[in-house]
Order: sequence, then structure tokens, then C-alpha cells
Amino acid sequence: MILLTKSNKGWFALFTVPLLLVFTTVVIIPFIIGIGYSFVSWDGIPANPKVFVGLDNYIELLKDDRFLTSAWHTIEFTVLALVLVNVLGLAFSLLVTMKLRISNAARTMFFLPNLIGGLILGYIWQFIFTDVFKFLGDKTGWDSLFFNWLIHPQSALYAMVIVFTWQMAGYTMIIYIAGIQGIPDELGEAARVDGANLWQRLTKIVFPLLMPSFTICLFLTLSGAFKIFDVNLSLTKGGPNNATELFAMNIFNEIFGYGHYGLGQAKAIVFFILVAAVTLTQVIITKKKEVQY
Amino acid sequence: MNRTSRMSASTLLILLALAFLSPIYLMLVNSFKDRAELYKSALALPKSFSFQYYSKAMEKMSFATAFGNSLFITVVSVIFVVVLASMTAWMLVRTDNKLSQIIFLTFVSTMLIPFQTLMMPLMQVMDWIRGTLHIPMLNTRGGLIYMNVGFHASMAVFLYHGFIKSVPVALEEAATLDGCSKFGVFWRIVFPMLKTITITVAILDVIAMWNDYLLPSLTLSDKALRTIPLSTFYFFGEFTIQWNLAMAGLTLTIIPVVVFYMFAQKYIIKGIAAGAVK
Amino acid sequence: MLAACGNSNDNKNAGATASGSTSSSATSSATATGAEKLKKISLFQSKVEIAEPLEKLAETYKKETGNEVEVWGSAGDAYMTQLQAKLTAGEGPTIFSVGTGAEAEKFKSYYADLSNEPFAKNIAPDMALKDGDKIVGVPYGVEGFGLVYNKSMIDPKDVKDVDSLTKALEKFKADGKNGLSLSQEAYFLIGHIINTPFALQADPTGFIDKLNKGEVKMADTKEFQEFAKVMEAIRANTVNPMEVKYDSQMGDFATGKTAMVHQGNWSYGMLKDYGDLGFDIGMMALPIAGNDKIAVGVASNWVVNNKANADEIKAASAFLNWMFTSEAGKNAIVNEFKFIPAMTNIEAGDLDPLSKTVFEATKAGNTIPWALNYFPQGIIVNDLAPAAQQFFLSQDMTGEQFLKNLDAAWAKGAK
Repeated sequence: MILLTKSNKGWFALFTVPLLLVFTTVVIIPFIIGIGYSFVSWDGIPANPKVFVGLDNYIELLKDDRFLTSAWHTIEFTVLALVLVNVLGLAFSLLVTMKLRISNAARTMFFLPNLIGGLILGYIWQFIFTDVFKFLGDKTGWDSLFFNWLIHPQSALYAMVIVFTWQMAGYTMIIYIAGIQGIPDELGEAARVDGANLWQRLTKIVFPLLMPSFTICLFLTLSGAFKIFDVNLSLTKGGPNNATELFAMNIFNEIFGYGHYGLGQAKAIVFFILVAAVTLTQVIITKKKEVQY
Repeated sequence: MNRTSRMSASTLLILLALAFLSPIYLMLVNSFKDRAELYKSALALPKSFSFQYYSKAMEKMSFATAFGNSLFITVVSVIFVVVLASMTAWMLVRTDNKLSQIIFLTFVSTMLIPFQTLMMPLMQVMDWIRGTLHIPMLNTRGGLIYMNVGFHASMAVFLYHGFIKSVPVALEEAATLDGCSKFGVFWRIVFPMLKTITITVAILDVIAMWNDYLLPSLTLSDKALRTIPLSTFYFFGEFTIQWNLAMAGLTLTIIPVVVFYMFAQKYIIKGIAAGAVK
Repeated sequence: MLAACGNSNDNKNAGATASGSTSSSATSSATATGAEKLKKISLFQSKVEIAEPLEKLAETYKKETGNEVEVWGSAGDAYMTQLQAKLTAGEGPTIFSVGTGAEAEKFKSYYADLSNEPFAKNIAPDMALKDGDKIVGVPYGVEGFGLVYNKSMIDPKDVKDVDSLTKALEKFKADGKNGLSLSQEAYFLIGHIINTPFALQADPTGFIDKLNKGEVKMADTKEFQEFAKVMEAIRANTVNPMEVKYDSQMGDFATGKTAMVHQGNWSYGMLKDYGDLGFDIGMMALPIAGNDKIAVGVASNWVVNNKANADEIKAASAFLNWMFTSEAGKNAIVNEFKFIPAMTNIEAGDLDPLSKTVFEATKAGNTIPWALNYFPQGIIVNDLAPAAQQFFLSQDMTGEQFLKNLDAAWAKGAK
């Protein structure tokens, strides 16, 4: 450990200040300004007036049904996505770190979806869920599976989970791979010699040492899912009937669709606080379980 | 692992991977069709594999310029992120006090902020910097690089933070005893051991920045500065998309990233060839 | 490394400017020997389809006058957010476009007064964007929508009112064809078609005002009740619009599967790739409450940013003037942007059949207005569309129920 002696303070500053400076000007200060804006009524156009309204926006949003519904849907979406993305990502990473000849190719293939930006992804999948599914439904007759997922509220949400998973599984996969690579082979060897089977090796050796990766992946999936916007916009546009208007889209519509800038900001602050509480708790817990060796 | 379980694992893997890639097949196949053909069947292979839409897309996008811009911005941004974030994360991990924890949690928590809420205030801040400090932050590539670093700092610090624990403190202490300054310890001992996570951060950031549409669209205005995603706007009309050009444009956009990924991932492979048989 | 730009004055290739078709600059200080050197300006507009011809036009402008116009690009949906961001950043474009109605209201404080510009007097009557008495915007052109129809499948004479329309749809369904197609995009699902009952009111803007205040209801108004009947007929007899997108809507029309689509003259562009359709097309009115006119209005306008400095404003006016009076400019507007001109000094030229119908209706004054321009901001996409989606997804919601839902949605969106 480095104790913060006088000379070490200098080093501390040298190592951290440059990034902190950029970070503060680009993220922290705008965020604080944004908090300030949540207390005004404004339409977002610089030349138009800002009217201070105190806590009105906050009171307003508690009465906003659509906001509350969208928050609930976002939570639903996030929980599903969290599980699916990480299970798949972990499974892929385990499969891919086995010494199979096609491991390299497979790893690239699983990661490919992540290379496509969110907007286009949404358009391609929209096409799949509408036209392709209809086509498959006609051909195979399985129309309990192959109908247009996007025009029914519940299945539209599932469609979003699928698209998000498709995009993110590879992402978490490579983080898990980095973690798995960091586990020395001797440990696995020693355990096998001791008679441990695959499942025991996984749960007693791999998973605990993979804790840093879990911290990261759980957190990334959580934050990615809560903030989802591009795919939301291009896949469902929030429909049908706002059933898939997730949180970031609700704010966006409030700010740019309706022109209620202050209200939109207030919503953002509220949700940020809630989500931060949940995810920071997660990070602190899993960080404590990380092993330094 | 015995032979049959290998075979079945391999087969499973291949099937999964192919199913996984079917949307990409769609994207490629439709970059060769015109609207009428696409309407008739979006799944079928195209009548002809002429690259006319690719050359048309490249021309409309001013591909060479756009590519140069994207490349410059992405590479410089990623280098800064990697260098600054690794330094910051290391110092935070090794200095175990309240301040470090607070800084770390601040980084982490800002990852939850949706960009939409920062957009407008960010523009104001950049405008203020330009007006008061006379540093051009908008409509310049340097400004975009600065903002990229700011936005990707959190994630990089977060990733590095987790992996620094895999660097044995003993090595660092030994180096310090040998007379290395903090700088030396970090660059000679620690950073080389972070190779895997550095490549991972680089890959994730390259992809994010290369594909980024929103931030560059707000900060870059001139045609000569456009990155590749910005240059594809021609194909996305208000009600409809010129699918063939858009898909061709998209393919052109991701080819460099795929190449980079294939090249970079070699460095993540450790011991797959030399490792023990599981 | 820092490729700083900004509206700098150094037009490096000043050189000799071409004579001939240059226009004089807008203000009175034109030099004797051709166009004067003006400041470089930026232009930002929302219509992706004209982005390329516009860039080419800017190049022609530079060749003819030596003055530079930087054309910025934006994908349709993102235009408003980008415009707001750029204005906030003080990067505001010199010339930009705004949609008539709520959008134009929003940016009102940015409009330079164009009343005294040479081109102002050429704007067709009642088409200019006004702030009080001042002319602040120039229309792109006029656009029109209605029922675009396949002449070999249906004759306007046979659908003169709601009953005959319903019967026609039923017959098409029995024959295995699609009578009328709406599409799932908000404007194509409800935004345009609901314009007709509004436009048929004696005082559309007054009606909207009262609706905002809750003093009248759509459910109680005759034209809307007929509108609801039409929607019921569409739901019962045609392919569900929620399964249709603009691409397939026009594709089905082009291949003769659909007899009518509720669309505008812009949709002609979607038919290009299908080659010779084998039938003629036209546009007719939506026949409710005795209506026999198509809806024509101005979608977008050019405005000049009054926060730019005086030199830039001067240069902007010069460019606009050149665009509306020079051969290159007029040609671009009509033949490349494919706008139906709203300026009296521009000839209509070679228009496609749909645009021709709109143009002639406009000249004859045989139109109903675009009341939708005066709807509260965002209401079509955020409130009316979800209500319409619900209607089309449920089999038993009645027309009256639909109108009640629309009223509720309006009340919410008008807040």
C-alpha cells in the first residue's frame, strides 16, 4: 500500500489529476448544471426564458403515470437482460477458452454483434421480428412462436431483451475471458489432481477468482440496460402504445419531444439516484469478495 | 477432454455461432439489392453481387476523408484513455483511503448517467471554454478527443481497477526497494502485466468510439471533419432508409473494426496453444 | 492537429467571380463589378433527401460568386436535437430549416426579419412564415397528401363518401386485395389522416385552441365521427397497418396489391425502383363530411439566424436570393430537390403525376389546409399515435371509444 505521505501526495496528484481534470469538465460539471436545470421550467431553446420553479418538476414527475410505467418496464427489462447476458457471456467464455480448434473463430463470431452500432442493430432486428418472423410463421405454421413480436407489449419487451443480449453477450464474454486468462493453470491442474470434477473446479476455483470480472460485468450490464436508448429507438420506438418506452427514451421524449427540459432533467436525476443506489451497492458487495493474491 | 465431448462441444459452438450471426447475413445480403428486389424477398441471396452500392456509398460518404478522421480521433482518444486511466486506477487501488474510494465510486456512478441529460449543459460548458479560455472545443477534432476521453474515463478506470489486483504487490515493493520511482514502478512493472485488460479496454473503446454517432454529430459540423458514422446520414431519411446504401455503408464501417479486433485478440490469447489439456 | 474551423473570412480562392447569372446581393451596397465577397455561412436543414443536391448547389454558388456556404448534414430524426445542441453551443447555423407550426414557434426568437428582402415579395400569398407582420421564413415548397390511388383499380367517382368508401373496401377484401393501406409510422398511421376532420372545421386553429382548453371534444364533432367510421372500416377490411411499414406500404402499392394508400406527393420517390408500374396513379381527397379536396401545406421553411453577426446575415440573404432567382438555383429547387415551388417567380417544370395534382390544386385554390401544423408539439408522435396503435391492435374498440381515447390523449399532450 502507498501511504499518503507528503511526497506520495505529489505522486497521487500526478497520476490522477490529468484524467480527473478532463472527467470533471466533461461529465461532472455538465451534470451539476443539469441538476440546476431540473429546478427550472424551460423548453431547451437558449434564446427562450428559463423560469425558476423550485421543486415543481419533482412533484410533477411523481404524478406522471407514463414515467412510472416506463420506470417499471425498465426494471423488468434490466433484470431479464442482466441474467441472460451474463449467463450467456459466461457460457461463451468458458466454451471458447477450452482448447477447441474452432475456439478462435467462435470467439470472433460471438463478438461480432457488438461491433454494430445500436441504431442499425435495431433496424435489422426490427426487420427480423416483423417480416422474417411472419415469413417463418407462414412456412412452418408455428405461429405461437413466429408472429410479429413487436406489436404486442409483452413480447416487444422480450424482443428488446433478445436484441440487447445479442449485442452484449460478446462484450461480457471478452471480459470474462480476460478474467479466466488471469487464473493460473496450475490451480486448475492441482485441483484435478486432487480429484475435483468440472463442476467443482468451476464453482470452487474459477468463479471466486472471477469475482473482479463479475463485478465488472454485472455492473456494465446493469448500467447498459438502464441507459438503453439506441436499440429502444430503432427497434420499437417505444411502442406499441408506449409499452416499451424505457427510461432514457422517456426522458428524451420529455426534453426533445414535448420540450419540457426541466421536467426531463428532474426525471433523470431521480432515476439516477435510484439506480446509483442499487448498482453501487452491488459494486461494493462484489468488490469485497474480490481476491488479491 | 475426450474426443466425443470435444466433437459435441465443437458442433454446439459452431451452430450457436452461426445462429448468432444470421442478422449479419441479412445485412450483407441486402447491400446488394435495390428496393424492388428487397421488397420481394429480404432473405434470399441477391440476383447479382455487383458492388455498385458499395462504390456509390463510398463516394457519397467521401470515404477516404471520413476514414482518416475516424482513425485519427479513435486512435488518439484510446491512447489517452489507456494511459491516463491505468495510471489513475493504479494509484487509486494502491492508496487505500477514503479519498480514493470516493473518487472511484464517483467514476463508477457517473456511468449510470444517460447521455441525454448531459448533452445540453456539455455544449454550454464547451461554448464557455471556447469563449473564455479561447480553446476551440467545438467543430475540431481535438475537442472531440477531449470529450471522448472524459466519457470513456469511467469505464476504463473501472476495468483497470478490478485487474490491478492481479499484479502482485511484492513485485512493486521489490522494484521500489531497487530504487525505482513511482513512474518507473508503474511503467516498467505494472503496466506490462496489465496487457490483457489494456487490450480489452482498447477493443471496447475502439468499437464505441468508431461507431459513435451522437457525440460527433453534436460537436463536429464541417463536412471535412465528418467521421464514418456521420457520413452515413445521407442514407437515413425521415421516413425511410435507403437499405442497400445504408447496409453497404454499415459494412464498410465495421470492416476496419473487425480487422482490428482479429488482430488485437491474439494478445488476449494466453496459453491456449501452450496450456494444459483440460 | 486541431483542425479548427469557425466562420473565418479567408476565402482562399477569391479570384475572379463569374459574371452572367450572378444576382446582386441583398442589401444595397453591391459593388459595380459583380458580386461582392461575403462571409462564409453555414446551412443546416432537416430533409436528408435533398442533402446531396444542396451540397452541389453550394458548390455552384461558390463557382459563380466566390462565396462559400457550408452545408451541414443530419439524419432526419436527429435534426431537432442537433439544432438545439448547436444553438446552445453558440455554433448556430446561419440558415436553418424549421417545420411550420409548433416547431417554428419554438425557435421564434432566432428569426431574422426577411420582409425587405428581394425574394420576399415572390413568396406565394399566405405561404410565408410570419411573426406578426414580419416575414421571417421562406417556404421550401408546398406538399400535399390524400388518397394516392391506382387508377386501374379504383375510380374517384366511386368513393365520394364514407359509405361508398366502406363498400369499396369490403369489396376489395372479398376479392383478396387490399383496399387502403395505412402504415405504422406515426404520421402515416394517424398524423395525416386525422388532419382532414380538423381542416374541415370552419376555423381550424380556433378549434384546436378550444380543444386544447377542453371546451370541445372530438367525440362530439360530426367530422370526427365520420373519421372514426372510416378508421373502423379500414381496420375491418384492410391489412392491419401495424404490420406495414412505409417500404412495404409503397411496395404493395407498386405491385398492384393495394388500391389506395394515404400518402403524399413525396411517396412518388419510393416507386422509382419498381420501373414501369403498368398503371397510372393519382391523388384524391379523403371523402368524409363531403370533403373533395386534398390537403396542401408547407412543411418546412428557410429561416435566417438573427444571432449571427451582421455580415453573416447579409451573406445568408444573398445566398437565399441567389437560390430563388438564379437559373442554377431555380433548377435545383424544381428538378433536384423536387419541390413544388411556392414562389411566384419559379416555374413548375416537369413534375411527377402526384406533384402535378398538388400543384394544380394549389393554383386553383382547391385545397384544405394542414391543420396538423398547429397541433401542440410532439402530440402526434407521443399521444395520438399510441392511441391509434391501441385501436388497431384491439378488435373490439369501437369508433366512439377511439374518439374518447383520442380526446384523452389530446388533453394529456396539450398540457
